[in-house]
Amino acid sequence: MIGRLLGPRRARQLQRFVRNGKLTILCLLLTVIMFRGYLGAGRFGTPEKDLDDIRVTLSYIRKRPEPRRVLEEAQGELKSAENAGAGSNNYADFDIRKILRDEDDGVEEFKRDPSQPYSLGSEISNWDEQRAKWLQSNPKFPNFIRENKPRVLLVTGSSPKPCENPVGDHYLLKSIKNKIDYCRLHGIEIFYNMALLDVEMSGFWAKLPLIRKLLLSHPEVEFLWWMDSDAMFTDMAFELPWERYKDVNFVLHGWDEMIYDQKNWIGLNTGSFLLRNCQWSLDILDMWAPMGPKGKVREEAGKVLTRELKERPVFEADDQSAMVYILATQKEKWASKVYLENAYYLHGYWGILVDKYEDMIESYHPGYGDHRWPLVTHFVGCKPCGKFGDYPVERCLKQMDRAFNFGDNQILRMYGFTHDSLGSRSVRRIRNETSTPLAVRDELGLLHPAFKAVKV
Amino acid sequence: MGSEGAFSAQKRSSGALPTANAAVNGGARGRAASLLPRGRQMHKTFNNIKITILCGFVTILVLRGTIGLGNLVSYEADAENLHLTEETDRILEEIRSDKDPSDPDEGPQHYLSLNDTFSLGPRISTWDEDRKVWLEKNPQFPSYVKGKPRILMVTGSQPAPCDNAIGDHYLLKALKNKIDYCRIHGIEILYNMAHLDKEMAGFWAKLPLLRRLMLSHPEVEWIWWMDSDALFTDMVFDLPLPKYKDSNMVIHGFPDLLFNQKSWIALNTGSFLFRNCQWSLDLLDAWAPMGPKGPMREEAGKILTAYLKGRPAFEADDQSALIYLLLSQKQWMSKVFVENSFYLHGFWEGVVDRYEEMIEKYHPGLGDERWPLVTHFVGCKPCGSYGDYAVERCLKGMERAFNFADNQVLNLYGFRHRGLVSPNLKRIRNETVAPLVNVDQFDIRHAAAHHTTEPRS
Repeated sequence: MIGRLLGPRRARQLQRFVRNGKLTILCLLLTVIMFRGYLGAGRFGTPEKDLDDIRVTLSYIRKRPEPRRVLEEAQGELKSAENAGAGSNNYADFDIRKILRDEDDGVEEFKRDPSQPYSLGSEISNWDEQRAKWLQSNPKFPNFIRENKPRVLLVTGSSPKPCENPVGDHYLLKSIKNKIDYCRLHGIEIFYNMALLDVEMSGFWAKLPLIRKLLLSHPEVEFLWWMDSDAMFTDMAFELPWERYKDVNFVLHGWDEMIYDQKNWIGLNTGSFLLRNCQWSLDILDMWAPMGPKGKVREEAGKVLTRELKERPVFEADDQSAMVYILATQKEKWASKVYLENAYYLHGYWGILVDKYEDMIESYHPGYGDHRWPLVTHFVGCKPCGKFGDYPVERCLKQMDRAFNFGDNQILRMYGFTHDSLGSRSVRRIRNETSTPLAVRDELGLLHPAFKAVKV
Repeated sequence: MGSEGAFSAQKRSSGALPTANAAVNGGARGRAASLLPRGRQMHKTFNNIKITILCGFVTILVLRGTIGLGNLVSYEADAENLHLTEETDRILEEIRSDKDPSDPDEGPQHYLSLNDTFSLGPRISTWDEDRKVWLEKNPQFPSYVKGKPRILMVTGSQPAPCDNAIGDHYLLKALKNKIDYCRIHGIEILYNMAHLDKEMAGFWAKLPLLRRLMLSHPEVEWIWWMDSDALFTDMVFDLPLPKYKDSNMVIHGFPDLLFNQKSWIALNTGSFLFRNCQWSLDLLDAWAPMGPKGPMREEAGKILTAYLKGRPAFEADDQSALIYLLLSQKQWMSKVFVENSFYLHGFWEGVVDRYEEMIEKYHPGLGDERWPLVTHFVGCKPCGSYGDYAVERCLKGMERAFNFADNQVLNLYGFRHRGLVSPNLKRIRNETVAPLVNVDQFDIRHAAAHHTTEPRS
């Protein structure tokens, strides 16, 4: 057709031109692509980067459930999948979720009015008077067991559902045994919570409604000691210096400068703290709660906290940051009754402690509570019950075993035993049985310590 | 993705070129093709092939540069997953295995032969006097506090994780359940996770433990042993201790089954009380010989199966051994109180299905078949791999028993489970500005102290 228009020779020339042109453009394109692939194209990025992005996105979506599946599968080699029905005697494949479900048993339920802004409960303003009156009419339930020894309730807890991690429940069990041991020695009562009182205050916020409920239901309790499930006692001989706290209502581990001057989000730790049973505490709980309700409120509060506090990463509001924020911004109102303790490890970050246990055993002895022999080793970030922690699984679990044994040795020594090593579950005898057991004293004097003595 | 499009476009166009060429050239020169010398034709073909190869080569280079050989996307992720699986497997196996990596290699297990004698410790014969002297010297550790004798509840489980995660979860729940009962009733708890005596392993582990605790804690009047698979289901019921002032051991059982039928389940050692006294030490010494692992336990098992009615053939267990002891050595029975007026031990099968009926008709505080003190999940063995009963039945029963008891604890706080198989709660009492009214009414300890009317469930 072109040939007819332009003449045969011209047509041929044109065709040749077009052909060459196609070749040229093709080669040019190839060159450009190759260069882009290897050298990059500035702000447009490279195809490799594009593909990387896509790969990451895809594997992110795939990776999320992956470790959980891995951990779950690691349990059972025998996969009698559908046979784990009503007749099976094998625990390996049974899914507890088959059993758990809500039922209506006819007892009336009271729901919180969702149109109202969130509150922990009806506002009480005369709790000190109510409580004083009650204590007077109930002399059998005094709030002080002895002079300078308040009645303390240690509160901890975990989820009512089995852990995602197959060994998580085992570590929760060891952790509560550890707390039972300390509390038995020190005359402290324990409340192990396995219930979510308020669906809106889920996760780390669940402690707030629980604490308020316990304070109001146990007027005989003078101090409530909240402790996370991932914190362990490592000094069984250390008794808290109660006289130091006689004029304060809230004791947390932390540093004044880091809160009031720097507003650092880890300037204090809400994994282990003391709260007195009084009106002031109810007030601070009411001030604390508003950042907690799940959903938009918590998200927005999280942004505020990240903005206001030093070095806080971006995530939803947590109770610790919220408390830092409250103390830093309302210092005049609360600071006088808050004691930021750092003379001993009311909370001890595990990362700097767990490798030193052998040194401590060599150089020191229980009773110090501080860097020489920490009261509490707190496995922040390990999350042994969940799917993901911030640290490698192996390090966390092995170190939790060591911390547990470190504390357990102090208990076993009372009875003449000790663990074979800090990493070992087996125990060996260090004191022979005798026919005069009462003549033998345990070195630490923990069998009948002064802080457990009954008022004579 | 854009580059792929370019490739395919390029491929298509490179594919098109020769044909275009052919079309252009062939068309124009088609008639002249036969006129061209063969050399020229071959030359042309060569050119085409060169171009094709060149383009193909370049394509491969570029593809390799961006996507890489093979299927790199899933390769990397697969490798990561594989690594994760292996690592987790290894960690879990290490944690689960009984052999610690740090333990020195133990020699072959040395069992006591039948000629050896086993003893829990050096013989003590003056424990009552020793203890009395100690208590007088230590008035700040009395054996009676506020008129009630000091009780130590002892329970425990194996030091290693259970065979399955669900086992540990129910150990945890059972422990919480015991903590709650003991807090309400002023009892101390000791949870043991150590094998004190390698020979007395398994169900016999409680004997050396009990002896050790009695001797270390003279201020303790009663030791209450409770199995890890037993749950409290009556949070209000208080042990009628005055009933036992002349006894040294309180154990649930049936005298008829014991004396007349010599049944191996006449008594249950899953929940019993032991007074801290010389008699108890002597009983432990008489009880222990059937326990040591190995030939002693095996032989003893045969004797017990022959002697006791209904006992299957297996190694000696502490329960059968105790029954045998009490039947064959008559001096002990005078101080043993065989309790069956309440469920100091309550076999779960007859109990777990009746909780709704109990809630409807009765109230906590009865402790007997109407509202059992203890529901004991004998035979379920959730910490192991296999139980004697269907798993679903066992776990459902344990969940129901736990929630049945937890409702009694949560009652003070104004909450209740959403049904007996639910971990979720519902509020049954509004928050109030005068919470102490509820405390007086619903706190089990205060209700007991004030002797008010029987609390509602």
